[in-house]
Amino acid sequence: MESARDTALPLANVDSLAAASAIVHDAVDTTPSEPVLEVRSVVKNYGSTRALQGADLVLRAGRIHALMGENGAGKSTLVKILVGATAPSAGTITLHGRTVKFAGVADAIAAGIVPIYQQSTLFSNLTVLENLFGFEIATRPGFANFNNAKRRLLAQCMLDRIGLAVELDRPVASLSLGEKQLLEIARGLGRECKVLVLDEPTAALSQADTSRLFSTLRRLAEHSVAILYISHKTDEIQKIADEITVLRDGVSVLAAAPLKSTSIQSIVNAMVGHAFNVGEKNLPAVAAPVLTLDRATRAVGDPEVSLVVRRSEILGIAGLAGSGAEDIGAILAGALPCVSGTLHIDGQPLNCLGDRAAAVSAGIGYVPPDRIANGLFPRHIALLNASASILAHLSRFGWINRRKEIARLSQVLANVRLTPNEPWRLIEEFSGGNQQKILLARNLALVGIKALVLVEPTRGVDVGARDVIHEQIMAAARNGSAIALVSTDLEELTSLSHRIVIVRGRRIATELPHLSTPSVVAKAMLGEI
Amino acid sequence: MTHVSAPSWKARQPLPRSTWVLAIILVVGWIFLPGFSSIDNATNVLRVAAILALATYGQTIVLISGGIEFSIGSSVALCSVTSVLALQYWPIGPAFLVGFVTILAVGIINGLLISYLRLSAFLVTLGMLLLVHGLAAIVVGGLPVEAPDREGIHALSGGAVLGIPVPVLLAAAGAILLHLLLERTILGRSWFLIGSSAPAAEMTGIKVGRIVFLAYFVAACFVGLAGLILTSRVAAGEPNLYPTLPFESMAACAIGGIPLSGGRGSALNAVIGVLVIAVLNNAIVLLNYPAYTQLALLGVIMIGAVMAQGFPALKSLSWSRSR
Repeated sequence: MESARDTALPLANVDSLAAASAIVHDAVDTTPSEPVLEVRSVVKNYGSTRALQGADLVLRAGRIHALMGENGAGKSTLVKILVGATAPSAGTITLHGRTVKFAGVADAIAAGIVPIYQQSTLFSNLTVLENLFGFEIATRPGFANFNNAKRRLLAQCMLDRIGLAVELDRPVASLSLGEKQLLEIARGLGRECKVLVLDEPTAALSQADTSRLFSTLRRLAEHSVAILYISHKTDEIQKIADEITVLRDGVSVLAAAPLKSTSIQSIVNAMVGHAFNVGEKNLPAVAAPVLTLDRATRAVGDPEVSLVVRRSEILGIAGLAGSGAEDIGAILAGALPCVSGTLHIDGQPLNCLGDRAAAVSAGIGYVPPDRIANGLFPRHIALLNASASILAHLSRFGWINRRKEIARLSQVLANVRLTPNEPWRLIEEFSGGNQQKILLARNLALVGIKALVLVEPTRGVDVGARDVIHEQIMAAARNGSAIALVSTDLEELTSLSHRIVIVRGRRIATELPHLSTPSVVAKAMLGEI
Repeated sequence: MTHVSAPSWKARQPLPRSTWVLAIILVVGWIFLPGFSSIDNATNVLRVAAILALATYGQTIVLISGGIEFSIGSSVALCSVTSVLALQYWPIGPAFLVGFVTILAVGIINGLLISYLRLSAFLVTLGMLLLVHGLAAIVVGGLPVEAPDREGIHALSGGAVLGIPVPVLLAAAGAILLHLLLERTILGRSWFLIGSSAPAAEMTGIKVGRIVFLAYFVAACFVGLAGLILTSRVAAGEPNLYPTLPFESMAACAIGGIPLSGGRGSALNAVIGVLVIAVLNNAIVLLNYPAYTQLALLGVIMIGAVMAQGFPALKSLSWSRSR
C-alpha cells in the first residue's frame, strides 16, 4: 500500500511540474499582466488601535512588487493578512478574481501564497531532501519513505528550478544562509505557487548570496510567479522590483507605482509624510558630558564606536534593523559585552564588558527593545515589576521596607499615568503601552540616575502612552539625565533629539543636527546621504 | 477590591486548592479512623513530616529561582555516612557538623556548576544524585555502618522541648525563616525575579549568577538540617537512606501549588504540600494498607493537584494546526 502511494505521487508531481513550466513559458509571451492577487481597502483593528485603515495592494503575474513603509506603518500586518496568519477586520482579498478568506497559514499556502520568512523555518537537523518534503511529512499521516529514486528525482527538479546546487543528503545545518533561503524558496515552490512573499530576505545575506537570490527571483518572475518583496533597502528595491507600494499609517500612499518612473525622493516622502512639526518641543540646555563611550568594539573585526552623551541631552541613535543601532544602545547601558573599548560615566570608568549590575549602581537606566523577552516579569504585579532595579535602596541589611517600596513606586507609577492605576494588577493585564510605562517607571525610580538608555521605547504602543513616554523622557532630560534614544520612529527621533547619530553597518556613519526633517533622517539611514 | 489593608508585592493568591484536600483527609480521618485524632498520633505525624518539610523548603527555594534539585536524595545519605564515621573520633557536635558541611558541599558544587558554568540544573543535580550515592556506598563498602553507641545521638530526632518534638520545632522555625526570606528580603525577591525571567532580572541589575548560587546554598542549609535529623533517627551511616526524598519534596511542592516553571511559590504552599503527604501516609498506615498503596495514592494526589491548578496549556493551541 505504502509503495503504491509512493510511486503514484512523485510521478504525478514530476509530470505536473514539467507541464506547469511548459505552460508558464507559453504564458510569458502573452502576459497582459492580469492581477493575481488584489487586496482592496483592507482594515485591521487590534483592540482600539487601527493597524491598517484601507490598504490596497495589487500583485501581477511575472512582476516583482516592492512593499515599503516605516516601522508601524502596517507592513507586517498586511503581510500577516496575505499569508493567512490573521484575518482582516474589513476589506476584500481576491485571488485570480475569486474572493478568498484564509482560515490559516496552511490554507493560504494551499491556495498558492507561499511565505518566506526572515527566520528560517527549515529543520536544521534534517537533510536537504527531507526538508524539501517537510510540508508533506507534516500533512500526511502514517509512514512514508521519502528517500527513493523518484523522490530524489523530483527533489533534484525542485532545486534545479531555482538554480540551487547542493547535495540532497547534506544536513541543512551545513548550508550557508543564502543556500538556506533558496532551499526555503524551493520548498515553497514544490507545491503550486502563485504568489511568493519575501519578508526582508536579504537582512542576513552576504553580497554573493543576495545577487544569487535576485537572479532566482528574476527567473521565477519570468515563470509568471507574482513576487511580493518587503525591504527597507532602497538600493535593492531599485535593482530588483518592477512596482512599489508604500504604506504609511495603515494606508497605501503609493499604490503599485511603476518603479521606473518613481524617484527615491518620492518614495521617501511617501514613507515619512510631511505632517510633522519638527522642533515644536522645548529641549533643555545641554551641559557637560555624562556618558562617554570610547572606541567600543562588539566583536573582533567590528568597527569601533565612540559616542558622548551630555547632561540634559537627548541623543538620537538611528539605524535600520540590523544596522547595529540597538547594540550601541545596549553597550551604553552595560548590557552587552565588548571585546575592547571603555565606557565612562561622569568621568568614572565602568567596565564595558556588559556588567549590567555595575551600570545600574552607577545610575544608568535601560529600557530594552524587547519588553517581553528582556523587560517584564510575567505573572507578577506592576509594583514588583517597577521596583526591581531599586531593591537595594528600599532595604536595610537586605531587608526590604515594603511600606517604602509601596509609597515610592505608587508615586512613580502615578507619574507615568499608569492606566488603570492599580499597582497590584498582574503585568499581563496591562496594555502594551502601559507595560512600557512600567518599564520606564522602573528606570525613572533609580536613585541617583545619571543616564537613561531607551531602545524603541514606543514600539507597538498606542498614541496616549507614546505621549506620556515622550513627556517623561523630556522631564528626565530637564532633570539632568543624559539620554540615549535608539529608535526607528523618525517623528520621535526628530522631535525629541538634540542631535541624531546615524548607524550604518555597525558604525556611526554621520551625525545630524536638531531640527533635521524625518525625510533627511530616513535618507541618511538608507545611505542616500 | 482595594488592597490597602494587606500590602503585598504578590498578586493576591487564594489558599492553594490542596488545602481542601488536607481538610477532607483530616475530617474523614477524624470521623472514621480511631486513633487518628489523638495527640500522640498528631505528634507522630508531625515528627515524620518534619524531615520532608525541611527538604521541601530547600526544594521550594530552588524551584522559585527557576531550577530543580535532585541530589538531596543522596546528599542526606552521604551526610549520615560522614557523620557516623566522624563519630568514631569526635563527639556528637563536631561529628554532626561534618555531616552538615557534607550537604553544604554538595549544594555548593551544584550551585557553582549551575550558576557560573550555566549548566542545566536538571542534569547537574541528577548527575550529583548518582555521583553522591555512589560515593556514599564506596565510603562504607556498600553496607550500612552502625553509629558508635553514644548518649544523645537520638536527641535531634527523638527529643522534645516543652512536649514538642525537636524536629517539629526545627521545621516550624524553618517555615518562618523561609517565609521571611522569601517575602521580606532582597535575596528572596531576587529568586522570584530570576525564576520569572532571568534575562529581565539581569537587565534590572541583579547579579543573576550569585543569586542562583545562593539558592542552591541556602537550600542545602535546609536540607542539611533534614539530613542531621535523619542521621540522628537511624543512628547509622546508610548509603541508601532516603532515595525518594527529591521526588517527595517535588510532589509536596506540586501539591502545595508551586509550579515547576519558577517565579512563584511560598512557604505556606510548601507546608500545606508536606502536610497533605504526611497526613495521607498516616491514614494509610492506620488503615493497615501496605506501604506501596501509599506510593500509588501519592501519585494520584500529585497528578490531581497539578490538574487542580487548571489547564493553561490547553488555551494556547495556536502553534499547532490552524483550523
